[in-house]
Formats: sequence, structure tokens, C-alpha cells
Amino acid sequence: MAASGAEVLPGRREGGGGEAAVLRGTRGRCWRSRSKAASCLSIPSRRDNAKLVSCGGDRQLFYWDVSSGRVIRKFRGHDSEVNSVKFNEYNSVVVSAGYDRSVRAFDCRSQSAEPIQIVDSFQDSVMSVILTKTEIIAGSVDGTVRTFDIRMGREVVDNLGHPVNCISLSNDGNCILAGCLDSTLRLLDRSTGELLQEYKGHTCKSFKMDCCLTNTDAHVVSGSEDGFIFFWDLVDASVVSSFRAHSSVVTSVSYHPKDACMLTSSVDGTVRVWKQ
Amino acid sequence: MDEGDEDYVVYGTPIEREEETSARKRRAIADAGQLRALPPWKQEVRDEEGRRRFHGAFTGGFSAGYYNTAGSKEGWTPQTFTSSRKNRADVKQQSIYNFLDEDDIKDMGGRALETSMQFDTFGFTAAELARKEAEKEQEKRPSAIPGPVPDEIVRPAANSIGIKLLMKMGWRQGRSIKDTHADSLYESRREARKAFLAFSRDKDGPELAEIESSRSESEKYPERSDDIFGGTKSTPVYVLNPKQDLHGLGYDPFKHAPEFRDRKRSRESRDKDRGNNKTGKYAPGFGIGALEELDIEDEDIYASGFDFEQMEVEEVEPTKMIGDSWHKLVDRKRGSMLSFKVASNSDYVLERFRPPVIPADFESRHKFPTTLESTNKFPELPPPEVPPPEDNNLRLLIEGSAAMVARCGKSIEDLYKEKSKTNQLFLFLSGGEGHNYYERKLWEQKQKRGDLGRQNNTKSMKSSDEKMNAENRGKVLGERPLDRSSKASSLSVDVKEVIHLQSNLGDTFIKPVGLSESLKPFKYDPAKQERFEQFLREKYHGGLRAAQPFITNIMSETDRARERLDFEAAAEAIEKGTWSKEKETDPLSILKDLPFINDQRFVSSTEVEKHGVSKDEQKVIHPKREEFEWRPSPILCKRFDLIDPFMGKLPPVQRPRSRMDSLIFMTETIKSSKSEEAIASTRDSILLSHSESKETEKQLITQETDAEPIAADVQRPVDLYKAIFSDDSDDDDADEGNSGHSTDPVKTNEGANMTLNRLVAGDFLESLGKELGLEVPTDKPGPPDKPPNSILVEAASKGDINSSSVHEKLTSQHEEFDRPMEEKHKDNISKSADNVVTNLSINQNEESKPHSRHQRSRSRTPDSDSSDDYRDKKRKTHSRRRRSRSPSTDSSSDRHRSKRNRSKATHRKRGTTDTDSSSDHLYRDRSKSEGKSRKRSRHHKHRRKDGHKNR
Repeated sequence: MAASGAEVLPGRREGGGGEAAVLRGTRGRCWRSRSKAASCLSIPSRRDNAKLVSCGGDRQLFYWDVSSGRVIRKFRGHDSEVNSVKFNEYNSVVVSAGYDRSVRAFDCRSQSAEPIQIVDSFQDSVMSVILTKTEIIAGSVDGTVRTFDIRMGREVVDNLGHPVNCISLSNDGNCILAGCLDSTLRLLDRSTGELLQEYKGHTCKSFKMDCCLTNTDAHVVSGSEDGFIFFWDLVDASVVSSFRAHSSVVTSVSYHPKDACMLTSSVDGTVRVWKQ
Repeated sequence: MDEGDEDYVVYGTPIEREEETSARKRRAIADAGQLRALPPWKQEVRDEEGRRRFHGAFTGGFSAGYYNTAGSKEGWTPQTFTSSRKNRADVKQQSIYNFLDEDDIKDMGGRALETSMQFDTFGFTAAELARKEAEKEQEKRPSAIPGPVPDEIVRPAANSIGIKLLMKMGWRQGRSIKDTHADSLYESRREARKAFLAFSRDKDGPELAEIESSRSESEKYPERSDDIFGGTKSTPVYVLNPKQDLHGLGYDPFKHAPEFRDRKRSRESRDKDRGNNKTGKYAPGFGIGALEELDIEDEDIYASGFDFEQMEVEEVEPTKMIGDSWHKLVDRKRGSMLSFKVASNSDYVLERFRPPVIPADFESRHKFPTTLESTNKFPELPPPEVPPPEDNNLRLLIEGSAAMVARCGKSIEDLYKEKSKTNQLFLFLSGGEGHNYYERKLWEQKQKRGDLGRQNNTKSMKSSDEKMNAENRGKVLGERPLDRSSKASSLSVDVKEVIHLQSNLGDTFIKPVGLSESLKPFKYDPAKQERFEQFLREKYHGGLRAAQPFITNIMSETDRARERLDFEAAAEAIEKGTWSKEKETDPLSILKDLPFINDQRFVSSTEVEKHGVSKDEQKVIHPKREEFEWRPSPILCKRFDLIDPFMGKLPPVQRPRSRMDSLIFMTETIKSSKSEEAIASTRDSILLSHSESKETEKQLITQETDAEPIAADVQRPVDLYKAIFSDDSDDDDADEGNSGHSTDPVKTNEGANMTLNRLVAGDFLESLGKELGLEVPTDKPGPPDKPPNSILVEAASKGDINSSSVHEKLTSQHEEFDRPMEEKHKDNISKSADNVVTNLSINQNEESKPHSRHQRSRSRTPDSDSSDDYRDKKRKTHSRRRRSRSPSTDSSSDRHRSKRNRSKATHRKRGTTDTDSSSDHLYRDRSKSEGKSRKRSRHHKHRRKDGHKNR
């Protein structure tokens, strides 16, 4: 955890207490899983917070039971370290993005550890993946944000021209916020693929960092490599606020989907919960 | 037939046979004695044979009648005969009730003869009946509480026990209570009188005596008669006059019509009189003397009905009708009920609101701003269209000043006019050269400014000005304009942002789209610039174009088209940020630069691709968007709870699982063919030739089974490969890869075998002929109309083959196929050489197969070979045959070659393991999945068959 940072996704249905529990649980899991994984990169949990899945440098995904703290399943298939992993809407599929230029989908319901779908149209490491009800969206270092529409059977490639570090979906689902490695966040219109806005001011050049939108979609949040956290106005891209949150690189920023509550984690080994 | 009898189904009871009757008869006779002892209604009717006889349903079946008669238990008496001769008068009125049962009469609501509750000694029942009648009447009247409930709740009290006792004591309704002595006296007298009257009726004679006696009686009890008179006036039962009218409480209908009240009063008094001397009717009979007092005894007891109390049920208020008891209720006249009084002054003041104050400037008629404006505008007719003056400068000046005047108002024109006095240039203002043109331009500009002004107005003005169309509604609702329009409108970064932020982030406000000064490509021509902005606006707004009459007026069609082209070019240029000063002067130069702009207007679907192309050329704006087809796996769709978009369609070309597979599939996709090019040099020739032979055979089969769809070609090599060369593991792999396969394995197998047979047969015949020294014409391997030549060449070129062995093989095959068509006089030597090469190539295939198998299935168990199907057997026999006829030199060279190849392959494999990690992974993948796939192979086969069936 200290090596690469952790991402904690508060459960959607949980209140304030639940988040803390998940947070604690996540840390516990992280320590435990460190024996197996070289590093733990991403730990999303299911909507009901009953299971979580973690990924890391050991090329496999760990499917955890939160209550017991045991590994239910390990999904193998990636050829190198796994950068990001997400549950789908029904918690039945885990989709992971790896350094092996592929996005793989694993079936949580079957006993098989083999991926049920491999997408390898990327030209470089896939850094981030998000899922909607019908789509898999993944951002890659090759500068593309690819949307795989399962319902339509289409792959839409938005080439941003800069390595995509992190992608994040707006709460209304119409926009993608892509954090690029040229210290710029880009807001894309999903339907047309056009660039709506660029947000600059922070530094993001070499770390895998996260960005997100606030619960009201009014602001854009991202960490910075100098330990700052930046808030931009969504519309006019002005820096609304920036403050020093951590002593080192802020690796992950996660906003509560409903409340004004934010989690940040840093390379310095701290996870901070921000509340109004 | 006996068996048939058993099949009959018998319904009902069978008719008893005759032989049984004797026994029954005996029993009936025996019973007869008993029957007589029974009461007649218990006796059953039987005939002489002792059977119950059916009388028919209408009369009730067996039990109809009474002992088989028409009588009843009570007996049957025929109607007595009455002669109509004496009794002619009373004609019998027959009604339906004469023919109905009591029950029926009741059902019909008729009055049946019933026993009454009380023995009506005193005519009390009649009074009760009258009361009931009144109640019924009450029901029909409108009541405050609708429905029958009040009548049930408010029930007239039955006679109390006191009344009952009184009645037992001789009191009857309407009488006052007196001492029993007087009463009894009275009673007896009354009885006597009655008897007397009855007597006197019969005999006219002794009536005088009777009168005498009665008179004497009355004289005898003079004082009592007074008593009795008083006693008759019992307290009358008043029915408090129910409210029958529909007037409100306390409403006096005669308030404004006093004359009617008078009439009513007179009626009331008449009623009162009637009530006062209400002593009943007097019998008109004789026996009552003129001097006799009117008394109760004198009432006509034979008159119809009884004398019951008057019911005051009229609308008219019975004011002072009867004595003191009424006094409490008499207040009716003042319009009050028992305890309610009409208040003298009411507290209730109806609250009234003042009508709203109409502002002074309110106009009662609604004005429609747009039409008003139009009426304001259009009365002044447009000046005639005038050709612009030849002098270009003057034209520009005129147009510019017209625009200026239109924009800034009349004052500027005056200023110009002032100027024109000194400056010759402005002569056109005051009627010099080009004045007409100026007027025309000015009018246009004004029109336009009106238009623009309307568009640039604030939103509220806009909404009031324009009618609500789909576009406006969309804006109000925060909908996004169509993709295309928004895309086209992406002029510059800031404009684009405005557009998108407002459209996508749900903002409903609309900023007027304005171009910055630097982005005015038609600065030299303000009019044109205006039009250009208008054009941009339209482009942005999308939807239907507003009608612009002025444009159609002033410009010809070609002019408009050209201008439009200019605009689009400029817009495109602005969008790309390549607008520069030098181009400003000549907009047409942009057109030359961007030749595809013309097309863009018409081709919208390919816009995306075009953007991509242009960006590649110019190295500009990201992001760019591309779309590809992507096929999600069915299980993924299932897990996402979605319908597989490719359901029922052919499965996609599977990614090659191993290098081996990739070699076979290389020619299928462009991508893979490219990669094949890249590694073709390092590839061993055997595998290539292997794949090539596959290719050729595939082509042959497609020729032979001509009806196959082309799409199936993609699948074919896999199946063919399986059909000919695969062992179990190959089969499994391919099956696993194409689990959704729809091709028919049997068919392809047959095809493959056919091809092989044909080839082998040709070889065999040739070699046999060689050995025998005969010239044997070969069979035609393919249909003669389509020579396989071209296909093979095609395949060869597709595969990009460099190795010589492939060429050899190909040429050999060419010649072999071409031979039957081209020539038959080829010399033996060349033929045999061909043959050698052919065999060689085929044996190469033979050799490469186990080699490849070895290479791939390192972890294979040997017993899997035993499960080879008939195809393998066939193949083996083929190979055996081939081997038997192939010379030993062939095989030896064969072996050499294969050995070399193997070593090469292994070497290459070792060399590439560390560099090519992905392929290495594929190997691993394969070896991992192999064990499992073998397990599932049978299952897959079944599935495939099923799939075929379904298809």
C-alpha cells in the first residue's frame, strides 16, 4: 500500500459508518494481500460491500469476502501487472485492465478463473477501466479512451493524443474525465467524443493518479504530485481551490457518489477522509 | 360379437324383464293389504302389476295426484252449480288472481288473503291500515333523508300495553276514557239500537214503534248523552304537518301574494268549520227523528268505512285549528319551528371582495408582437433590386455604409450626408450615382438587422418573439442539439466549449454566439460578414432554416451557392485555426485548399472518417474518434444482462491461439497477413506449404460444393485442417475456439475426403500408369469451367510465399490440375518429375503433422491417439497407400527435410521465447487449456451438431 497507493471506493448504499468500515477493511486486506501481491493498485468493492476485488503486480486478481477476510477466488490471465479493476452493475463480472495491453473480464459466478472476454486492441498499458451498465470504458497509455459497448457491439476509440492515466465517469454518465500524463485533465463528451474542457494546474507526469468529479458534478478533483489537491470548476475550468493534503504524491482521489465526502490516499502512506 | 357386447356402454336402468313381474305382482298383492291400512296420502299409486306408473313431469311425476286421482288430501269437491238464470246480475269478473296460487299472488305483489295480527273487533285494523297507507304516501313524498331508512327507524309505535288494556276494557280509538258504567250503558244501548235497526230494515211496519222506543231511550238518558258527546271528542292525533314542499325553512310562499293568503285563510276557516262539526255522517235512514240530537249513535254505521281522524297533511298551515295543544306549534306563521326563532338581526355579513384594479394601460385585446412587427415592417415596399455599380470600391462603400446606417440608425446617415457635401464619395446618399443601390442595400440591412436583433435579443424577448418550435423547446428543456449540427458548429475552442458546456452540462441559458474580432473572415464586407455569422448561427442552431426572403431577393441562386461555399470554407478554416490574413482577401483560395469541403455538405455519415483523415494530414486537434466493430462474448453479455448484439451471427474470426494456428489463419485478416509478412522469413517452409496446401484444398472444395456461402470460407480452413490432419487435440482446440460453429463437420469431412481421394486417385493412376508404362488420362479434379489456376495463384500471392518448396508444390499442382484441360501429350519424364514433387509436398504434409502435434501438445497422453475417429483412419489408409506407391527416395528426402525443419522450428521457438512474450503466453495458454479442452471435446461436438441442426 505504501508502495503504490490504494484506492478506496466507498460503497454506494452505505452511510458514513459503512465507509469507515470499508476503509478499515480495505487496509486490513491490503496488508494481508501484500504477501501475495507485490503491490496493491486498486480495490473497488461491490455495491453491497460484501465482496471486494484487488489487483496488483502479481498478475492476478483477488476476489475477497469482506466479512471473513478470505480470498474467495483468484483470477489469473493477465500477463503482467494489473492496473485497475472494477465490478459491473450486477457484481457478476470483474473487469480488469492490465499492463499487458488488455482488458479482461472475469466471471464471478463461475468457478473458472479464466477470463470470459479479452480485449486486446490497446497499443499500450491500460491504466484505468470503468464500467457502466452496458459499456466497458478503458483508458490506455496509448492515448486512447476506448468504449466497448456490449449492447451495440461497437468499440469507440477516442484518441486524446496523450497518455491517459485515469478515467472517471461523471455522475450523469454523459462525460468522461480523463487524466492525462501531460498534467491535464480532459473532459470528453461521451456521445460525440469531443473535448469539452481541459483542466490544468496540477502536476501529473509519472505517477498513476486518480481524478474524479464531485458528487454534484460541479467540480473536478484531482491530486497532484506535490501533495496538493485541486478543485476546478467544471464549466470554466478555473481552479476553485487547491490545498496541501498530503506530504507526497496524491495517488488516489475518490468522491462519495452521494455525499460531500472525499477520500484521498498518498504515497506517504496516509489515507485521509474529507468531509464537509 | 360377445366381445363386442362388452364394449357397449349402457346408460340408465334397463327395463325389467317380464318374468320378474310375477314375483313383483305377488309382492304387490301382499302389500295391498298393508296399503289400505296406510293413510291415503302415504299410499303409493301402483298399477295392477304393482309398478309405479309415471304420470308425467308436469303433474309431478310419481307422486302426482292423490292416490292416482285429481283430488287432494282434503278431498276434492267439484264447484257447485249455480244457475245463471236466477243469478244473472253478478257476472263473474275473472281476473288473473282467480287462476293463481297464493304464492304466485304474493310473488306478483298482489294482496293475498292473510290473517291479521289482531282480531279486529273495533275496526282498529282499518285505522292501522289507514296509517300504513299514509306512511306509504310519505314514502313517495320527497324526504330530507333519502331512502327507506327513516321509515324503518322512525316507526309508528305499536299499541302500548295501556291501549291494549283499555281496549280490553272496552275503550276504542277515538273515544275518551270514561267510567265503565256509562260505557257499558252506552254499549248496551248501542247494541239494542243496532238490533232494532236491523229488524226495522227487514220489516217496514214496525218502524214507528222503533222510533218511539229510541226516542224514549234518548229521553231516558238525557244527561248521559251530553257526557257521551263530550266523550267523543277524544284528543285528536295530529300529524305535525310534514314538509312536503320544496321551500326553504321559514319561507313564506305568500309573502308577496297576500291575496292568495286570504284565500288560504278562507280555506283554513272552512277546514276549521269542518273540523268543528266533525261528528261524522249521519245516516240518511229513518228512525232518527228531527228533534233528535246529533249523537254518536246516529252515525251511519253502514256507511262505507270508518270514521277516522282527519289527517292534516296539506301544505296549508293548520293555524288555530284545534284547541290549546296546538298553541306551541302555531308560531309557524312567523316562520319558526319549535325552538328556533328567526333572528331579528343577523350577524352574518357576506364578505365581498373588490374586483381587481385594472391598470390604466391595460388593453383588452391581445397583441401578437411578431405580426405587429411584420405589419410595421412590411408595409414599406422593398426598393427595387438594382444592379450594383460597376465601380467595385463604390459598391463596397455603399454596402458598408448601408450596413452602418442600418446598424447605427438614421443619425449616421445624416452624418454621412454632411460628409457627402465635402466628399464626392458619399454622393450616393443624397441621390447621386448608386443611390438606388444604396437604398436597396439599406433596406436589406435593415431587414437583416431586424432579424438579427430579434435573434440577439434577450431570452425573454426571444421567447415572446418567436413561436415555440422544436428547437426552442429543446433549448428550454436543456436538450442537446443533434450531433452533427453541434459538430459542425465547433468553430473555435471557446465557441465549442460554450456550445458543449451549455448543451451537455444541462445549462439552459444560451449565450449568443459571437465571433471574436480576429475570426471575422469577411471583414471587408460587413454584409457578407453578417450573412456569414448568420450562417454560423444557423449551422449551430441546426434544425430548419428560417425563411430569408431578402436573400432570395438580392442574390441569384448561383451567388448564394457560391457564398455558401465560401462560408463553409471559412467556417472550416476557423475551426481548424488555419485562418490567416492572406486568405482573408480571397476566400476562394481556401476552397482550393480544402477540396473536400464541397462533399462535406452532402456526406455526413463519413464525417468522422474525414475528420480523422484531415487530422492525420494536419496534425491537429485531439481527441479524434473512431469506431470499430467489437464483439463481446456471449457470456459477457449474459453477465451484463444484455442481449448479445451478435446473436445468431457468425462468430468472429478467432484470435489464433498458438503460432501454429496463426500460421494457418494468416491469410484471413489483413492484420495477420501483415504480421505474417514480418515473420515469413523466419518461418519454416513446411508449415507454409502445409498451410498453402490447405488453402488450395479449401479452394477446391469451395468449388466443388458450390452452393456454400462465401462467408463460410472464413471458417473453412479450420474445418478442413481438422478434417484432414487433425488428431484429437487439434479437434478440441478448434472446437473450443469456435464453439459457436455453424459449419457442418460431416460435410466438410466428406469434402475433404473427396478431394483427397481425387488427388490420391490421380496420383495413383498416374504412378500406376508410369509403372506399367502406359499413358493414363487423369480424372478431372475440378469443374472445367473454372480453372483452379487463378485461385491458386491468388492464394499464393495472398500468402506471400517466398520459399521455393511452396513454389514447387504450387507449380506441380497447377500442372496437375491443368493437365486434363491443357494437354495430354506431355512427356513421361516431366510428368514423373511433377509427380515426385507432388508426392513430396503431400508427404511433407504428412510429416509436418506429427511434428506439429509433437510441438504443440507436449503434455499429451498417448492414449488420446486411440480415440481417433474414422477420419483419421481414413487418412491413415490414404497415407499408407501413398507410402506404398511413393518411391523410397521420396521418403528419405522427405525425412531429411522434416528433420531439418524440426530442428529449425525448435531453435526458433527457443529463440523467441524471451522476446515474444505474448506469443509465449499463447503457448502457455494453449498448453494450459489443452487438458480441459480434451475433456470438453465431446460436449463441444454435440453442441456443434446441435448448432447445425438449429441452423
